Amino acid sequence: MTTQLPPGFELEKVDDRIMTLNVGPQHPGSGHMRLIIKVDGDYIVSCDPDPGYVHRGEEKMAEYRNYIQNIPHLERPVIHDSSNILYPYCLAVEDLLGIEVPERAKYVRVIASELNRCIYTLYWLAIYGIFLGHSTMFMWSAGDRELFIDLLEAMSGARVTHAFLVPGGVRNDLPANFEERCLRQVNYFEKRLREYEDIFYQNPLLKARTEDTGILSRTDAIRLGTTGSVLRASGVDFDIRKKEPYDVYENLDFDTVVMKEGDSYARSRVPYLEMFESCRIIKDALRKMPKSGSVRTKLKPNPKGGNDEVYRRIESGRGALGYYIVSNNRPEPYRVKISVGSFRNLICIPYLLKGEKLGNMPAVYWSLNYWPVEADR
Amino acid sequence: MSTAVGIIKALNSGVKHLAVKRFTLRYPEQKLKFVGDGFQFNPEAGVGIAGLRGRHILYHEHCTGCQLCAVACEGIAEAIGMVKVNETWKQNKKAIMPQIDYGKCVFCGLCVDACPFYALYMTNDYELSSFTKSALIYTPGQLAIKPKMSQDVEIKIDDRGASHG
Repeated sequence: MTTQLPPGFELEKVDDRIMTLNVGPQHPGSGHMRLIIKVDGDYIVSCDPDPGYVHRGEEKMAEYRNYIQNIPHLERPVIHDSSNILYPYCLAVEDLLGIEVPERAKYVRVIASELNRCIYTLYWLAIYGIFLGHSTMFMWSAGDRELFIDLLEAMSGARVTHAFLVPGGVRNDLPANFEERCLRQVNYFEKRLREYEDIFYQNPLLKARTEDTGILSRTDAIRLGTTGSVLRASGVDFDIRKKEPYDVYENLDFDTVVMKEGDSYARSRVPYLEMFESCRIIKDALRKMPKSGSVRTKLKPNPKGGNDEVYRRIESGRGALGYYIVSNNRPEPYRVKISVGSFRNLICIPYLLKGEKLGNMPAVYWSLNYWPVEADR
Repeated sequence: MSTAVGIIKALNSGVKHLAVKRFTLRYPEQKLKFVGDGFQFNPEAGVGIAGLRGRHILYHEHCTGCQLCAVACEGIAEAIGMVKVNETWKQNKKAIMPQIDYGKCVFCGLCVDACPFYALYMTNDYELSSFTKSALIYTPGQLAIKPKMSQDVEIKIDDRGASHG
């Protein structure tokens, strides 16, 4: 009788050429997830990603709390992108409860969302840098991230978990002189961002490690159902902000960043170029925003949802992020399904790592913009 | 050849920063200046007033003991409990007021949104560390005290760089 061992625990025969390596789940370049890698010498034969170590049951928890009490715990999966993970929730609940959002609140939300996208991308870039052995990139982007954290702190009152977006608008109006301060810091950041080009993106050492590794072709990217920067790096022009504009994105002036190479370098460069677009959006939104007006529609206490279901999605730092909410005439939702970009992109890890050298694993894996906590929810 | 040029360019762009001012703040001596007196809420308009979400401040003369803050916190952090106080207020017949456990509080500020009587706000005080868990539980008496702070350093941005201090 043979006992069935869980994947990754099988022992190899001594004369076997194939060796199994567990990368993770304790963070040696993998985040809170495990990659079960089979290697032949230095080359990866197969790779089996094993997520689920940080599953928190967010979807189940949401069924026991009302629409407002859900806000703080739903932003926990991605605390660095907390405005963006709340955005589709707010849009969906607004559809469900039939709430109109004031015009100024829509602009404030877009600004908060774009600032938060920059915070997330800089954090990801810091990790990408340090895992490729480039500690300057880690220091620089961690330092510049502080500029945006200060802005969001002035805006919302918290450094990381903002709980700023609510169904019906935002929690509070912008503080005095925010526009001027935001513009100054974003202008400075754009100048700073151009310096990343020389030290990181045109650095021959980075190019040697990332170019032509983990190539995802255009057809494969579509076939595997990838999303976000991974999809755009493979040459597919798909950005939900452009294709299905929500709130005021249709009035704002920005472009979609598309690269056609589909390798790790392109996947790491697309979020970087998108930060320039985020800066453009922020500046444009500050210009077009109504100068005064309400920012929050008053809700009834404990609002009830009716017998309805709704799905709304937005473009987050990691791709399409959607909420499917079913309600049944109660103050709590009946079912909340969070569809996240990280989990969509997880599927291409086995395809990308097959045949790569083991040393290229961090370069390929981190270029996917994968956030384990969000994927496990 | 192009590899050598690229490496020199990368090094050069790093070396340029040797002369740039320090970005970080000397924290215990210098503290960043915040907007306003902390997060507040205007129940009439239903909109908050921007500010840092730090420790709470409780105005005993406004608190009616309605428990709405505790109800709001129930599904979030369960940090607020209502306790008896030895004070007599005309509006607070039951003589109960919130007591906040900062070991559990997530500083979302939804209790402030829930208070309809201008009694519970948040302040700029964020230094709440203590040596015991029990010291993190703030009684209504402790919550009434206005925090003393000296946060005065502003973020400076000029051509040479950004600096907190």
